[in-house]
Amino acid sequence: MVNLEEIKKEAKNILEEGKVKYIIGYAKSSNALMAAPTFVKKPEDIDKLIWDPTCFQNLVKFLLDEKRKKAREKEPDIRPVGIFVKGCDSRAINVLLQEKFITREDVYIIGLSCEDLGVLDEKKIFKKLKGEEPEKIEFDQRKNIVISTKEKTIKIPLKEILAERCLECTSSFPVISDVFWGDRNNRSPKEPFKSLEQIESLSQEKKWDFWQQQLSKCIRCYACRSVCPMCYCDECVVDSINLAITADTTAEEKSQKIKWIEKSPESSENFGYHLVRAMHLAGRCIDCSECERVCPVDIPLRLLNKKLEKVAKELFDYKAGLDPEQPSLVSSFKDEDPEDFIR
Amino acid sequence: MAEEFEPKIIAFLCKWCSSAGSDLAGVSRMKYPPNVVPITVMCSGSVSPLYIFNAFQKGADGVLVSGCHPGDCHYIKGNFYARRRIALVKELIEYIGLEPQRFKMSWVSAAEGKKYTKIIQDFVQELKPLGPQKKLRREK
Amino acid sequence: MEKILTKKSFPAWVKNLQSYTVYAPEKQENLWSYEVIQNPDKINLEYLNTVLAPKKITYPQREIFLQFNTSKEGKPQIKEVLPEEQPAVIFGVRPCDAKAITLTDKVFGEEPKDPYYWSRRNQTILVGLTCNPPPSPNCFCLSVGGSPHSKEGLDILMTDMGDKYHIDSLTKKGEKLIKAAENLFKPASPKDKKELEKIQRESEKKIKREIKDIKNIPDKLKDMFESPFWDEEAMSCIRCGICTYLCPTCYCFDITDELTSTLPLKGKRVRTWDTCQFPDFTMHSSGHNPRPDKASRLRQRILHKFQYHVENYQDYLCTGCGRCISLCPMGIDIIEILNKVRDYE
Repeated sequence: MVNLEEIKKEAKNILEEGKVKYIIGYAKSSNALMAAPTFVKKPEDIDKLIWDPTCFQNLVKFLLDEKRKKAREKEPDIRPVGIFVKGCDSRAINVLLQEKFITREDVYIIGLSCEDLGVLDEKKIFKKLKGEEPEKIEFDQRKNIVISTKEKTIKIPLKEILAERCLECTSSFPVISDVFWGDRNNRSPKEPFKSLEQIESLSQEKKWDFWQQQLSKCIRCYACRSVCPMCYCDECVVDSINLAITADTTAEEKSQKIKWIEKSPESSENFGYHLVRAMHLAGRCIDCSECERVCPVDIPLRLLNKKLEKVAKELFDYKAGLDPEQPSLVSSFKDEDPEDFIR
Repeated sequence: MAEEFEPKIIAFLCKWCSSAGSDLAGVSRMKYPPNVVPITVMCSGSVSPLYIFNAFQKGADGVLVSGCHPGDCHYIKGNFYARRRIALVKELIEYIGLEPQRFKMSWVSAAEGKKYTKIIQDFVQELKPLGPQKKLRREK
Repeated sequence: MEKILTKKSFPAWVKNLQSYTVYAPEKQENLWSYEVIQNPDKINLEYLNTVLAPKKITYPQREIFLQFNTSKEGKPQIKEVLPEEQPAVIFGVRPCDAKAITLTDKVFGEEPKDPYYWSRRNQTILVGLTCNPPPSPNCFCLSVGGSPHSKEGLDILMTDMGDKYHIDSLTKKGEKLIKAAENLFKPASPKDKKELEKIQRESEKKIKREIKDIKNIPDKLKDMFESPFWDEEAMSCIRCGICTYLCPTCYCFDITDELTSTLPLKGKRVRTWDTCQFPDFTMHSSGHNPRPDKASRLRQRILHKFQYHVENYQDYLCTGCGRCISLCPMGIDIIEILNKVRDYE
C-alpha cells in the first residue's frame, strides 16, 4: 500500500535536510476529478501533497523546464529535484537518462506504484455521470470512487473508469527510484495492444477515413507536444521560425530555413505534424497517454504512438524506458532486422 | 481519348550506390519510365521520415528510398539504420490508411542499373491503377 | 419585440431560413461544436459548452488574404480573396460568447477596418440562448459584467420556458429572422414576461464561481509586472495554446505565405490564429525574445485581459465562459489567479 503520510514524512525530511531543491508532486485543483501539479519548496507546505487516481499528469515534463532554467542561471543550484513518479512516468525518466538529456544526479525519484489500479479517465467518468457535474469525490478502499453531484451520490468501481493505458499497462510500478512505496507486482494484461485492434481490423480506406476525420479536428494548440516529456527539441518542425537562431545567424541562413509544415490547420498539414511527431516518438513513447488526455478536441493520439510501440516490440523486440543503458531504437540495429519489404 | 495517368515518383537515392546505379542505367541507355524525380542524398540513413511525408504532401504519388546493399554502406552502417526507420514509416503509413504500395525501399548497387530500371518500371505499373495520391497532398 | 415560439414549431422556423447558412451546436462523439445544420429537426439546444466558441465562424482559424502568382513574363500577379458573402445564422449562442464577439468587433473595427473580418461579421446573425442551468461548472460571467441572460451582441435572445421559447428580438437583423416565419410566433403575454423574469433570476443564482472585487484588479496588476508572483503561478504551465485558442475573446493572429510552388513563385497569404503562449509569438529576428519564459507569457495573458484591454477599451477581455479553466491540462485556474492577485501582499 502506498501510504501518503509516509510519503509526506519523507518529503518533509528531504526538504529539511536540503537534499532537494523542491519537490514536484500533486495537489488538489479546482476540478474535483483532476489533481494539479504542485511545487513544494518549504517543509511546512507538504500537507498540500496528495496521491490518488486523479494524479494524471506526467510530472517528468517539468524536469525539462528545470534543465533549461539551470542552463540560464550563472550559479545554478545543482541539488536534485524531488519528483513523484508513477510506473509510466519512471520510464520517461529512463528515456531522458538514456538520451543523456538529464543525469541521474538531477533527480530524486519518489516512486509510487499504481499497484493494481492506475489513473482515472475523465471521459469515462463523464459518460457515467450523463452530464451531471461532480461536486465532490472520495475513494473508498481503492476499490470504488464515490462521486457526489447536486442530485445524487454514485459509486463506481474504479476498474470501470481507469484510463485505457492503465488497463494495458505491463509495469505499474516505477522501474527507477530513490525511495519507493507500494508493491512491485508485474501485471500481465492478456492483450497489451487491444486498443489498436479496432483500427487494425479496418480496411485501408476505412483506416484513412478514421484518421482523416480525427486529425482534421486538430486546432494545432500543440498541447500534445507541450505535455509530452519526450518533446524537448529546442526547435520543433512546426514552429514557424527558427528558435535556435542566435544573434550571429545571418539573414540568408534564416531565409533558407525550410518550412516543412504550415501553420494552417488543414488536413495535409495536420497529418504532417502528427506523423512526424509519431515517428519522433517511436521507441521513446512510454505510453503515459498524456497527449490524448490533454487534447481539447479528443483526437485519439495514443493510438498513433501505441502502434509504433507495437511495431517496435514485434519487429525489433524493443521496449522503451526499461533500461537507461540500452541503445535507442532508431540509433541501433541488429543484423537480423527484417528486410523482406526491401527489394 | 483520356490521357493515361502518369504517376510522379520521388526517389531518394544514396550518392554512393543507388544514385550511381541510376547513372549507370542512364549511360548504358537503358529505357525506363520518365516518371521518377531522383533526389541524391548522402546516405539512405540520412533520409528523414519528414522528407518522405513532405514528398507526399507536395503531391508525390509514390516515394522510393534506395541505398547500398547491407554491408556495402559507404558509412559502414547508415543503411542499417535506414532499414529500421523505413520499416517504422512503412507500418505507420499503412496504419493511417495510405496505400502501402506508394512507398518502397530498395537496395541498388552502383552496378545494378538494370535492377534500378526494373524497380522503377514495376513501381510505375503498381501506381497507375491507384490513381493520383490525394490523401496527404496539400490543396493547391 | 417579445414573442413566444413553441418548441414544436422551432424546427419549422429554422426550415424557413433557407437563404441562410444555419449553424447550431451539434454533439460529435463526446464534444459539442457549432456545425452547419442540414436537418433542423435534429437541433438540440440542451447542450453544454462547445469546445470552440462561435468565434470559429466569425473569425475562422485560417483565412486566405490573397493569392499570388508569377506571370510568364515574370511579373507578380496578386489577387485579393474576400470571403464569400453568405448570410449565416448561429443558433444557441451563449451570452458570454456573444459578448466576446462584440469585443473582437471593437478590435477589428478600429481604422482601418479589417475587411476580412467584417465581410463575415456583417452577414452573421447571432441567436442567443439564456443559460439555465449554466453550461459549465466554471462559468463566471457575472463577475466580468455579463449575465446568463445578457443581450449584449445578440440579435435575438431565446429563453427556454419548458415547452416553449421566449423570443426577444433585439435588432433589425433579428426582426428579419422572425419575419421569415411570422405566423409561427405569438406575442408574449404579461404572464410569460413574469415567468421570464423568474427564470432569469434563477439562472443568475446558478452561477457558482466568481472573482470578488474585480474592479480593483486592473489597478493592482499595474504594480505587479515585475512581481515573482508570475513565476510561481506559471510553474505548472506547459505553454500549450489551449487557453487562448479556446478563448472566445482572444484574437491574436499570424500572417504567413504558403507557397505552392517556388519556380514560378506561387502561393497564398493566409491569416491563422496565433497565441501569446507560444515561444515564437514574440521572437525577434535577432534571436532576442522579450518574453522568454512561461511566466512572462502567463502574465501577458492575464494582463492583456484585465489591464491593457481595460485601459484601451474600458472592458475586460474576458467574458467568463470558463473554457480555459475546464480544459487546462494542468488545472491552471484564472479565477484563482485573479483572486490571488486581489489579495497579493
